[in-house]
Amino acid sequence: MFKAEARNYRVLPLALVLALSMIALPGIFAGDAQAKEAFAEQVFAQEAFAKEVLAEEEDEEDGGPKQEWSQDVFYKDWEGNPLKGPVSGYPAPDLGPEDYNNYDFAPSRIIVWVATQQHLYFGSFVLAIPIFCMLIEFVGIRTRESDPILGEKYDKLAHDLMKISLTAYSWTAILGGILLFTFITLFPGFFKYIAGIFRPVMHVYALMFLAESGILYVYYYGWDRMKDDPFLKWVHVSMSVLLNLVGTILMFLANSWATFMQAPGGIDEQGRFLGNIWHVIHSTLWNPVGVHRILGNIVFGGGIVGAYAAYHYLTAKTEEEKAHYDWVCYIAMFICIFGLIPLPFAGYWLMKEVYAFRQQMGITLMGGIMAWLFIIQAVMIGLLFFAANSYLHNSMARVQGSHRYMKYCKYMVLLLIVCFTMWMTPHTIVMTPAELKAMGGAQHPIIGHFGVMSAKNTAVNLMIVTTILCFLLFQKANKKITVGWKTIGNCWLSAIFIGAAANIIFLGIYGYFLPANQRVGLSVPQVTTTLTTLFAGTAINVSMFKDSESYGDIEWGTQSRVGTYAIFLLAISFTWLMGLMGYIRSAVRLFWHVTEVVRDNSVDAYTLTIGEAGKMLTFNALFVWVQFVVVFWVGSLTGKAKAPEAVVPQGVPVPAQQQQQQQ
Amino acid sequence: MLPDQQDILWTFITLMSSLFAVFAFINVIQHCLSKEGANIKMWGSIFAVFVVVNITLTVQMFGMNQQAQMGFFFGKQIPAVILLLLTWGIFFKSAGIQNQSPPIIRAAFFYTTISILLAGYTNWLPQQRSDPPPVGGAEISDDISMEDYVEMGRIIVFGAKQVAGQKAIGKGQCPLCHTFDPGDNIGRCPNLFGVEERSHARVKEDRYLNDPLKIGEADPATGIVKGMPMEIAEEYRREGSDELTGEDYLRESIMCPSCYVVEGYGPPGSGDKVSPMPVITKPPISLSPVEANAVLAWLQAKDTPGEFTKVTIALPSADDAAPEDSGDDEDRPVFVTGAESIEDMINTLGCSLCHTIPGIPGAVGELGPKLHEKTNAPMRIKDPNYKGKAKTGREYVQESILNPSAFVVFNEAAGEPFPDGLMPPDFASKLSVNALEKLVDFISNTEAE
Repeated sequence: MFKAEARNYRVLPLALVLALSMIALPGIFAGDAQAKEAFAEQVFAQEAFAKEVLAEEEDEEDGGPKQEWSQDVFYKDWEGNPLKGPVSGYPAPDLGPEDYNNYDFAPSRIIVWVATQQHLYFGSFVLAIPIFCMLIEFVGIRTRESDPILGEKYDKLAHDLMKISLTAYSWTAILGGILLFTFITLFPGFFKYIAGIFRPVMHVYALMFLAESGILYVYYYGWDRMKDDPFLKWVHVSMSVLLNLVGTILMFLANSWATFMQAPGGIDEQGRFLGNIWHVIHSTLWNPVGVHRILGNIVFGGGIVGAYAAYHYLTAKTEEEKAHYDWVCYIAMFICIFGLIPLPFAGYWLMKEVYAFRQQMGITLMGGIMAWLFIIQAVMIGLLFFAANSYLHNSMARVQGSHRYMKYCKYMVLLLIVCFTMWMTPHTIVMTPAELKAMGGAQHPIIGHFGVMSAKNTAVNLMIVTTILCFLLFQKANKKITVGWKTIGNCWLSAIFIGAAANIIFLGIYGYFLPANQRVGLSVPQVTTTLTTLFAGTAINVSMFKDSESYGDIEWGTQSRVGTYAIFLLAISFTWLMGLMGYIRSAVRLFWHVTEVVRDNSVDAYTLTIGEAGKMLTFNALFVWVQFVVVFWVGSLTGKAKAPEAVVPQGVPVPAQQQQQQQ
Repeated sequence: MLPDQQDILWTFITLMSSLFAVFAFINVIQHCLSKEGANIKMWGSIFAVFVVVNITLTVQMFGMNQQAQMGFFFGKQIPAVILLLLTWGIFFKSAGIQNQSPPIIRAAFFYTTISILLAGYTNWLPQQRSDPPPVGGAEISDDISMEDYVEMGRIIVFGAKQVAGQKAIGKGQCPLCHTFDPGDNIGRCPNLFGVEERSHARVKEDRYLNDPLKIGEADPATGIVKGMPMEIAEEYRREGSDELTGEDYLRESIMCPSCYVVEGYGPPGSGDKVSPMPVITKPPISLSPVEANAVLAWLQAKDTPGEFTKVTIALPSADDAAPEDSGDDEDRPVFVTGAESIEDMINTLGCSLCHTIPGIPGAVGELGPKLHEKTNAPMRIKDPNYKGKAKTGREYVQESILNPSAFVVFNEAAGEPFPDGLMPPDFASKLSVNALEKLVDFISNTEAE
């Protein structure tokens, strides 16, 4: 029983790693993909050129009106010249007061911000849950043969998550409707232009939404009917794959509107559509934003499910309930942290594409008016690491055998505090001339050194390495290693972590002696070092578990209050962070609806102060959680109507030893 | 949000406070009903009062603007909620209830506290609001001097306001990538110290003549023909001979950055054939011809302060800078007649941007002294440093409006005087006699709230 269970615990991480690898594949084969993309662009360019020649010939033959051709604002041909396309739309409007409507109580821009953010939060959640369900149901099927009870528990967990998601799905659709009406009523001029460009995409989006709804309902309502027959169960889990596929397409279609607004393509300087809808959809930021959002959805979904479980853990009346929700917290946190680790890399990719589109836009983000928002992001990331480490420390404390490693926790916390302090030290701050004189310049002679990227990259990489170390210790907390190469393995692990820390610190210091443009390149070896500790460290650690003896399993249902609140902290911090990053991405357009094409001539075209934006972010985060509480409450009403035994969750994977003790 | 609008966050939280009071009331009633001997009348009444108080506070909150809401929230709403929590705790203790407040409330308070702390952190950081640049170009008069024109260029590069310790960035956004002092290098784009001198030599260099485009070849992205100053768009074209000069090189650099890329400053892998710099005369920066030339004039003059002999850019005329659509109300000069309300007058004149003025919603500026003139004006006249002519508070206020430099107030918080020259000296031409009377009457009677 225990072996089967232990195997199942390993299946889940394996499935997650595989899933994330699938997402990361485009990045791994980026060179190949770029080559293919370049080839595709060449084909596009050649086709466009051929069409231009044919059109001219046709015009000459017909003697009819000549087709006008214009240059794309983004796409280029194989020689690097702007790609030409037939003008197929109207120029972007020069918006005036008649193109904007207002309410007295709040600026239109704030209203549309709230509507968009709320829709995105819910959209993110309903896209993440099917991914979790797919994985958990798959693990359940694989487990069923060796351990039917545990298999059933996994299945029930997936079903319960889907039940919550179903209510949230309707809610998301309603919020989407509100968003649409907000655009139409408050920004009619802008919406007319964007709808003119994306007309076919919007219709396909609506049809895909219909398909998503159909699959979702069959998937959920067919759960019990398709549960017992092995073949039908496989059909059922395949539907979850289809559900995720359609969901992902939906998200990518909607992303194209936002990425077009930020970095347009497929139009000319006047904003006229050049006849290729794929160019409009597939603008330069489309791929990285899509991948970044998938990962973000996973983390956000994990955070919500974790907070949901943590809340139920606090309200649980029975030991079994407590054990169940403790276990769900663990699964959710596991998913959340595994999504969190690759998220910054997707962020780097996105920023790289932003710089590639307009260096000026990238600098506005990292060194201009948006730079302080990135300092806030740094603080938020630090907060997430604190929460994740706090959860791991508290979870480890209840594992028998963990006493061997608990003594290191305080040093890890100390290191996190030092790194966090360095991470959030600003480069310069606003000062009065008197203060400036007292300090001897814009930068403090000592602390100022921690405000530059060399120090910050070092700090964040050390924080990630510390978290990885904490995770490895958590993994081996209850294991008594018996393999013959135990000492060598431990030496290797020590060498990897000490070497990684030394290398990261060395590269950080080395950066001070290089000019800024070369210093940026040092982040690559630093990140590679960090990833090495993750992959090599985990691989060695897991290999050492072969034939290991157990000091005892996790005692589910004994999660400390601090651990529970660490989950709450993670959930609310990520909600806030998600809002912040969304605001940064959108606000970098400054006074443009569509960058460099449609100018925002409304009274709200200014960029908010950080304080004003911060208050809006707090409102959005609190407001969405109020809605989540309502949605979960509505979702729980069906459960309450059933027989009493259905109320008590059955998804508790009670460890073998505990089961024996209970018997 | 505009000053007279409500703050969404405070409004939302005050609503939640009322909801919490209702929740606490129901919770207390439920406990009383399930527990024998509990004094339901007393506890019910107490918590009903809390409901009424919180709802009253919420209703009051709806009638305020955002600044008033913030004070009200921390001054009244928060104490009311804390008192409610304390009373709730006393109820739990007295009724001997072990399992005290429900987790939903604890989680809600935890979430709210964390979120408000984060909002507080963002308000603690330096605040900078960025307004969009005007749609048309800059306005100038016919009698503009070269010194003014160069200064205009400097403002386009660095912005009118400079904040200590921060890199100031104007409409041109040049300092995002370029540096201007000897020895500075942020690695993005070339340091522009000595660029005027280099510009003359550059147009004769082999690399310029042949790389990445040859003289006479058109840049595909901008359509500009390299090294041909007379083929440039008419509104940007200079007068005189068609010989290539340093001025032409500078102009070409901002209108066609990829016509020539300084070695080592192309994007990685580009072989310095393409420049990462945006075309300054096109969106998003969109400098008008007059503005672009002002920047060029500043570039030519900046290394020899106070001397403009190296500037070859011609001075523009008012016609050059005339906006395409001059019928807009915003283009009219500011003038108040006195028929307006005092609030409208103050907002039109822009006093609230720099001064905190009691009684004027949204007048919370901090660049100048707070206008508590009922008490301050008589004290200022007695100040040993005061050299003005006013004998009464009213005269002092009038003098300060018409001649701001007559007495510069000391800023106690900063430990130094407020900057002299910040307040425009031209209010005499913006106010009618009636308007001045009305304004002086009002400001002379302002006092701390």
